[in-house]
Order: sequence, then structure tokens, then C-alpha cells
Amino acid sequence: MLKPILLVEDNPHDLELTLIALERSQLANEVIVVRDGAEALDYLYLRGAYAGREQGNPAVVLLDLKLPKVDGLEVLAQIRGTGSLKSMPVVMLTSSKEEQDLVRSYELGVNAYVVKPVDFSEFVRAIADLGIFWAVLNEPPPGSHRYIKPQ
Amino acid sequence: MTKASTATAIDITSCEQEPIRTPGAIQPHGFLLALDAQRAVVQASDNLAQFTGVAPEQALGRPLAEVIGPAAANMLTPQLEEPLRERPTYLATVRLGEQPYEVLAHAGDQLAILEFEPGAGAGLQHLYPLVGDFLNKISEADSIVALCRLAAAEIRALTGYGRVLVYSFDEEGHGNVLAECLADGYESYLGQRFPASDIPRQARELYVANRIRMIQDANYTPSRLTPADNPVNGKASDLSFAALRSVSPVHLQYMRNMGTLASMSVSLVIKDHLWGLISCHHAEPRPLSFHQRTVCEQLGQILALHIRNRSDADELQFRLEVRRAMVRVLGGLTQGTDFIDNLRSVLPELLHFARAGGVAVVVEDRLVTFGDTPTDDQIRALTQWLAANVQDDIFHSAHLSERYAPAAEFSSSASGLMAMPISRIHQHYLLWFRPEHVYNIDWAGRPDSKQGGAAQLSPRTSFQLWRQTIHGTSAPWREAELELALEFRGALLGIALERAEQMADLAEELGRANKELEAFSYSVSHDLRAPLRHIVGFSDLLMETAGSDNPERRQRFLANIKDAARLAGKLVDDLLSFSQMGRAALHPVRFSMRDMVQGCIDKLAPDLPPHRINWEIEALPEVVGDPAFLQLALINLLSNAVKFTANAHPAVIRISSEQLPDETVFHVADNGVGFNMEYVHKLFGVFQRLHRMEDFQGTGIGLANVRRIVERHGGRVWANSVPGEGATFSFALPHPD
Repeated sequence: MLKPILLVEDNPHDLELTLIALERSQLANEVIVVRDGAEALDYLYLRGAYAGREQGNPAVVLLDLKLPKVDGLEVLAQIRGTGSLKSMPVVMLTSSKEEQDLVRSYELGVNAYVVKPVDFSEFVRAIADLGIFWAVLNEPPPGSHRYIKPQ
Repeated sequence: MTKASTATAIDITSCEQEPIRTPGAIQPHGFLLALDAQRAVVQASDNLAQFTGVAPEQALGRPLAEVIGPAAANMLTPQLEEPLRERPTYLATVRLGEQPYEVLAHAGDQLAILEFEPGAGAGLQHLYPLVGDFLNKISEADSIVALCRLAAAEIRALTGYGRVLVYSFDEEGHGNVLAECLADGYESYLGQRFPASDIPRQARELYVANRIRMIQDANYTPSRLTPADNPVNGKASDLSFAALRSVSPVHLQYMRNMGTLASMSVSLVIKDHLWGLISCHHAEPRPLSFHQRTVCEQLGQILALHIRNRSDADELQFRLEVRRAMVRVLGGLTQGTDFIDNLRSVLPELLHFARAGGVAVVVEDRLVTFGDTPTDDQIRALTQWLAANVQDDIFHSAHLSERYAPAAEFSSSASGLMAMPISRIHQHYLLWFRPEHVYNIDWAGRPDSKQGGAAQLSPRTSFQLWRQTIHGTSAPWREAELELALEFRGALLGIALERAEQMADLAEELGRANKELEAFSYSVSHDLRAPLRHIVGFSDLLMETAGSDNPERRQRFLANIKDAARLAGKLVDDLLSFSQMGRAALHPVRFSMRDMVQGCIDKLAPDLPPHRINWEIEALPEVVGDPAFLQLALINLLSNAVKFTANAHPAVIRISSEQLPDETVFHVADNGVGFNMEYVHKLFGVFQRLHRMEDFQGTGIGLANVRRIVERHGGRVWANSVPGEGATFSFALPHPD
């Protein structure tokens, strides 16, 4: 069973573009979409609407920085502060490369920090690369299954 | 220091050794008897036999009656039963043979001291009309000199002396003749100065205690006391208060040198301090009765009282003027922000304040001067010296070159200096300069002409006018000026402190503005890039799928592009209005909140969604604020309420108010979706959203605007909600002052 990718994105347009990009990368992983930081945490902590979901962490969290209610940095901080979640790869997706956000993200132990390219083909490539690297090439933390691309 | 003072320092020390209180002798125009508690004679003057026929040695140990006769003794004895005072009182006029004697008595070292003077004076009935007359005239005199002139004339009329001088002592002890009254043939001393050495220190002390003294004939031979010392305590007899007290031979020589054989002086004592003297001279020996002397003493007291009142009034007037000048300076100071510039605008007042010729302000490396001052370099050197040598809050000198030698170079502009540090940390100074005041002193004889020798002291022999010219000094700084300058300094430091606080406030405000600016640019880079990226993304997708693909998908991409473009435009507008809100000036007026709410609802009406809204508007008070800004805030709150009640049927939006002691609070409550209180701290931030974009449209700037507007009015905003039940947004405006 492939581990899913958790996509945290509030903006409907960004969401649509990201899903298109992931689709084009031909990753077989399931993409789970949550729309704000609070929902992301609910998913990760198996609470609220996600209390009954299947156990296990996603292969990677694609996390938008600016989110309603609980923003990306706060979600990241909680992930890194929780024993069962802290080794999970987290990629920060953001509109701009603000020095303070970059510094803060790395301080909190982000695995990658990606500024969403304006050009759509670049955006698609970036998302595909991310998916392949984190869901395919990357050796996941112990106990995870390695993804084998279907022939 | 003047030359004169150096000379007097030597003279005073040698004269000060004169035992003037215990001369052991009296003037011989009367005689003295000292009685013990049993009223027996225990001490007598050597001239006793001339008046009574009883030799002093024979008088000792005998009752008074046996010395002066029972008739005279009987007149005195009852009065001696009364306790005696320290100063002589008149007991009676007694006759010894044909000669009448005025008898004075006072207490001295457990003895009753009786002094007998041949009585020749005018009766009291002649004297008191003079005193009454004097009292009437003196009330009309309008200056100290006029008071003194009046007293001099009155005393000359009363005593018949040839010359009456009234003089005051300056700080160095020199006597300055303020007024005089002369008979024909007497030389004038008006305006002249008697050196301090003329009256030694211990004489001044005695003059405060005993306010009158007379020398009837300077050619007298003192009559010694037998025994010489007080027989009760064995000490030299204290004659401080004795009317007949013999004076120093130096003083008698001084009188003869001056050409005066009789003299009387009355002390002018103000606040226990010897302010001056009324000094009477006569070329020939001249007796004065006890009553004459007493009236003179009283006139002296009346004069001193008037001088005191006059100088107190003058001082008060002077302080009032200085204070007014200070207030003018301070009034000018508080108007601007730059300290130096403010001082620059009040330099003339600053000059006037200290009656100075020049003023300088030194603040760090800035130097501002006004009027007649030394050069900038000289002033800088001077402040260096002050910083190194003066620790006091204020420095003043009317003879600067004496304290600071380089000042001799600029004595014409700055012989006098008053300087104050106006910062506790930095070398900031305020300096007032007074120009050199060259003046002449007309000495009544050269002050250094008194010849002193090891064995014998002799007074000066010349009273020829000797003119001395004084250089390098300015008009003196008065006590009131120094005190008020210190007060002024306090006020300046207060202003500086206030300014520092203002600066701190400003810095805080700038910090806040800067933070807002950062948030602003952060938002621009974040939120504004997103719709641009979407436009480009969907456009690319659109081009890829051109021709092929389903038309629905193409339609959606087009709608997304339009949507993103519209959002981008709105974001730019909102960001601009937000930034304007921080800058534009408020124009507060009083207006009715109810009218404004109604106006806002009318304005929203065309855009209102189809769902029905129950507006519940309570009675709302008038407030003071900028109506344009507050309307914007209100529209934001009301349109938020409309937006988040889209799914409520019916939607109820209630606007209410409450009066608190310091502020008026307004609430906008709705029954909409509400929000999670967990995120309430983010509610009023720029581009913070608590809902998904597709659920409730908006740029996330509305509440940031509301907060900014209310805070600029000095108020506060807050919100409460129960998710699913509604939200209440509240703002408070402070009551106008």
C-alpha cells in the first residue's frame, strides 16, 4: 500500500494547479487534500473528521505557508514537536521567498522549501520533481514502504 | 581681589586682638559703681572721688548709701529690687550736691552695674514729637537712600552733631556712605567708601549686640576700675553694654586723625546682621543724654525696619521680574522640537533674564551665541575648564579672570559669568556673560595707609579722598538670579526629559509603522503573486489544451483567469487603502452613530445578497471621530456580518452600544457561521483569513482596516464568537477630552 501525499492548500486555484501538476507527474500515490492548517493537524493527529482514517503517516506533506486558522509554520512546528510525526518529510510550498519565512522554516526543520514558479510548465516540473524525490527516490524513515513505480 | 582687600586682611587681624569688651576702664565724664547681691559696692571707677569725694578703695565693701549719700541711694534702691536687664535702663535722676546725674543700671556677671552721667539732656517731652515726625516722613520715602537721608537729617537735628553719615556695608565689609547731613564747615563723605579695616571684626560683633555707643571726648584719659577684674568671678569685667565703656586707644587716635572729638554711632541691624551704621561726628566734645541716645537708637531701629521692608519689597519685585523673564523663555522653548532652535528663538529673552550682555548655548559640538560674547574658541575652552573644575549645578563669578586666568583676554565682554550644565550626562552648558564694569571707588583715605607695628598699632592718618579704579569685574550676580537660574535649569531638564519621552514614543510609533510596512510588503509579495501565478498557470493550460479537450474545462480555466485578475485588482486597491489609512490625517467631528449606521446599510443595499436580513439598530449615541474613516470601518464590519450570515435564515444583524466610564463601545452582532475563538488573535491581522476563499470571498484586509481605523482614534477592537451561532465584533472609542 502506497503512503499518500498530504497536500495542504487553501487557495482553490493553487489547489487545482497543484493537483494537475501531480497528476502529470504520474505518481501513483493517493493525494489527500486538506484546506487549512487546522484540518491538516486533524488529519495528522487522526482527530475530528479524520478520527477514523487508516493509521500511518503520509509519504510527504506539501504544505502551503499561508493558511487560514493555523499557518504552515505552526503546522510544521507541531509536526516536529510530535514524536510520531517528526521524521516525516515536509515540503513548504509558498508564493514568495521571504527571508524570514525561509529562515524560520529551516529552523523548524523543513525538508525542502519551494517557491511556486509563476510559469506553469516550471510549476509542473517542480511539483513532479518533489513528488518523485520525496515519494520515490527518498529512502523513507524506517518502517515505511518504498514506492515502486508500476511498469 | 582689589588691592584694598589685601591690605585690610592684615589690619583686621591685628586690630582683632584689641579687648574691646573688657577695656578695664570707662570714659571719665561719668562714674561707675558695681554692686553685689547685698547692694554693697564691690567695684568702682578711679574717678569716683571727683564726683563723690569718696576714694574708690574706701567705697569697696560699703553700702551704696555710704558712697552716694542716703537721699540718692533711697531714690535708687527700690528700683534695684526689680531684676535688671542686660542693656542699661534709666533708673532715676539723682543729685549729688547740686549736680544732677542720670543713673543707668544693667546686669553684668552677677553684678548690678550703675553708671552716673551728669544729666544735661533734653527731657522726653521734647524728643518724642521728633520721633513722631520722623515716623510720618519716613513712610513717604520711596528708596533706601531717601530713607537714610531722612534719618541723617533727623538725627542731626536731635543731637546737634556736625556730621551725620548713614552707611551700609558691602559684602567685603567696606562702608559705603549712602546719605549724610552736614553743618557748615564739615567735609562731605557722601558716596565715599570706608575700608573694612576701619571697623574690626570684634567691633562689628559688639555693634550687633549693643546698638549704640558714644564717645563724648576723644581726648579723654580713661578712668580705670578698682579692682580691675570682676570681684565675683575673677574675670576681666565685661563692659560690652556699659554706656561709659572706654574704647580702644586706636579708635581715639582714628577720631583725632579724622578731626572729630565726639562721636556716636547707631547700629542698623537687619536680620541679626550688621547692615550699616548711622555715624555721627562732632568737631568738639559733645555730651548726649541717655534719652537723646535712646531716641537715636529707636530711630535707628525704625530706619532698619523700613530698610528691611523696602529691600524685601525690592527683592520681591526683582524676583518677580526675573521670574517673568524666565516664564517668557520657557514659553518660547516648549513650542518646537529642536532644543537648540527653540533656544535660538528665545535668545533675547534669555539675555534679559540674566541681565547679561551675551549668552551662549553649548550642546554637544553645536554652539549658539547671542549678544556680546567671547569667541567660539574661547567659549569652548571655557566650558572645558568648567567641566573639569566645577561640580556645582551653577557657577557664577563677577570677576572671572580671578578664577580662570585666560578670561583676562576677554574681560570686556565677559568679566562676569554665570554658567549651568543643562545635561547630567553630556557637556551641555548655558552661559551668560556680563561685560566689564569699570568703576571708581572713592576711598575716604587710602585703605592701606593704616600703619601697623609689632608693639603699637596706629590708625590711618589720612582721610583724603583716594580714587581707585576697578577693572575686570562685572555687576554682581544676585542671589535671586542664581536661584531662578537653577529653577530655570530644572525646567529645562524637565523639558529635555519630556522630549526624551516624546522621542521614545515616536520611536515606538515608528517601530510600529515599520512593522506594519513589513507586513505590508510581505503581503504584497505573497498574496499578490498568487493571482498572477494563477493567471499564468491557467493561461498555459488553456493554450496546451487549445482545440482539443472538453469545452467545460476550458470554460473553467477562463473563469479562473478572470477571477484571479479581479482578485489581483481588488488586492491592489485594498492594499492601497490600507496604507493610506495609516498616513491620512484624521479630522474628528461630532456625529450621530445611528445616522452613520443607517447610511452604511443604504450604501450596502444594492450589493446585498438575496437572503433576507433583519437589521436591529438600537439607539446609538453621538461620537467624536473622523466620519470618513469610521464609515469605512463600519462598512467593513457590516459587510462582514452580511457575508457570514449568507446561510442564516433569517439573518439577524444587531448594532448596539454601551457607555463605559472612559469610552463608548459599539457591537455588531450576527447569527452567521462565526469563527473558532482559538484563532481570534489572527482575526485583525493583514491578509489573515479564517475561512476558505471559495466559501467566503474577500482579500482578508477588511478587519485589519477596522483595527487600524479604531486604533488611530485611540480606541480598541475585539471579537467574540461561538462557531455556527454567530459572531460579535466590538470597537470602543474613547470619550473626547
